[in-house]
Amino acid sequence: MSHENKPELVINGKRADGRDFEELRPLKIEAGILKNAGGSAYLEWGNNKVLAAVYGPKEVVPKHLTDSSKAIIKCRYSMAPFSSLSEHGRSGPNRRATEISKVIREVFENVIMLNEYPGSEIDIFIEILQGDGGTRTAGITAAAVALASAGIAIRDLVYAVSAAKIGENLVIDPNMLEDNYSDADMPVAVSPKNNEILLLQMDGGYTKEELKSSFEMIFKAGKKITDIQKESIRKLYESVSK
Amino acid sequence: MKKIVLPGELISNGIKKLDHTYISNSNTYAAVVGMYNEERGTLIPLEGVWLPNIGEGVVGAVTSERNNVYRVMLTDFVEGLIILDRYSREYFKVGDVIRATISEVERKNRVILERYSLLRGGILLNIKPVKIPRVIGRGDTMIKQLTDLTGSQIVVGRNGLIWINKGNVDLAISALIKIENEAHTSGLTERIKQMLETNR
Repeated sequence: MSHENKPELVINGKRADGRDFEELRPLKIEAGILKNAGGSAYLEWGNNKVLAAVYGPKEVVPKHLTDSSKAIIKCRYSMAPFSSLSEHGRSGPNRRATEISKVIREVFENVIMLNEYPGSEIDIFIEILQGDGGTRTAGITAAAVALASAGIAIRDLVYAVSAAKIGENLVIDPNMLEDNYSDADMPVAVSPKNNEILLLQMDGGYTKEELKSSFEMIFKAGKKITDIQKESIRKLYESVSK
Repeated sequence: MKKIVLPGELISNGIKKLDHTYISNSNTYAAVVGMYNEERGTLIPLEGVWLPNIGEGVVGAVTSERNNVYRVMLTDFVEGLIILDRYSREYFKVGDVIRATISEVERKNRVILERYSLLRGGILLNIKPVKIPRVIGRGDTMIKQLTDLTGSQIVVGRNGLIWINKGNVDLAISALIKIENEAHTSGLTERIKQMLETNR
């Protein structure tokens, strides 16, 4: 991708926001903050602010979608009207939100033990309150915590993170600016137990070697993300036991 | 040693038959957030949804009545049916609170109830269904202590609804909420006893 007035994304070996190539933006997760939801999580990842809530298992609406052998997952990713600078931030479903809802649903269909809840529906809501690049990965990371805190049987606590290519440099967790002007970017969702890839989308192109080292970066960063996710759930119980 | 396990965490290097776990590559992993007790080999979920089983006692409210069939709301997902037979002498109105036992699970979200009876007066408290075993306690210790020290009648439904009548209702409620919040900590029965005795 080439842009005429492309901003400089790498300055003196650092990224535009002062991060190293392999450095994540500061990540903070708080679990169980919505009282009415089965499970919930609030996540701040750099300038991204995401709220995820999980409801169910409950009765399937409309009824004809019921699958008597397993649960069905419904996922709604949406950006709040005030979440972003003009372009996104339209309320209501649009092409982009529908696509992201679908890919996120497929991530969780592979993680939730659907056979445990036959004939029911599990709803996952992901609301982007403020977006700054990588909102779908932030949404998945938050929704995984929400699912765990809802007590729904899941195989693993998944995380997601984006990787990008800026010129010759491979970076992780691009922000909106890097996302828009990078040569390639790739959101990935991973099940950390066996590094199984649950989501992989790509904009632009990588060579084989670049892809390989990008994945190494993702798995390395994933360890940090997983730790923060686990910490947020443990905190729910440790604060009481003191 | 008790420890908190999270989904995907390794429980044992081998096949172990345990609720709330799954087996992958002949290793056993946790599927929920839970408290794992290695010596006893138990995994008690800290969060979760209640799915009905035959024989469980429940508390619910009658939501509709038609052709001698009462529908009873147990949770927002599970519904109970009371099918009156000709000899039945119990009649309910919509809004009545009842206790009953599950005799048959039609689907995960619809069950048939038997041995039902009306609960008159009192109030209902809704707590997380996963915490109900702790409210009852091992060998009924917790619930006995609660009824003895508050003087209340308490009926605990496995679906998460608790009916409380007479006695020191406020104290019973605050004790129940304390149990819900601290169900995973040790020495809880003792702490609840202290709390009830000082606030009597």
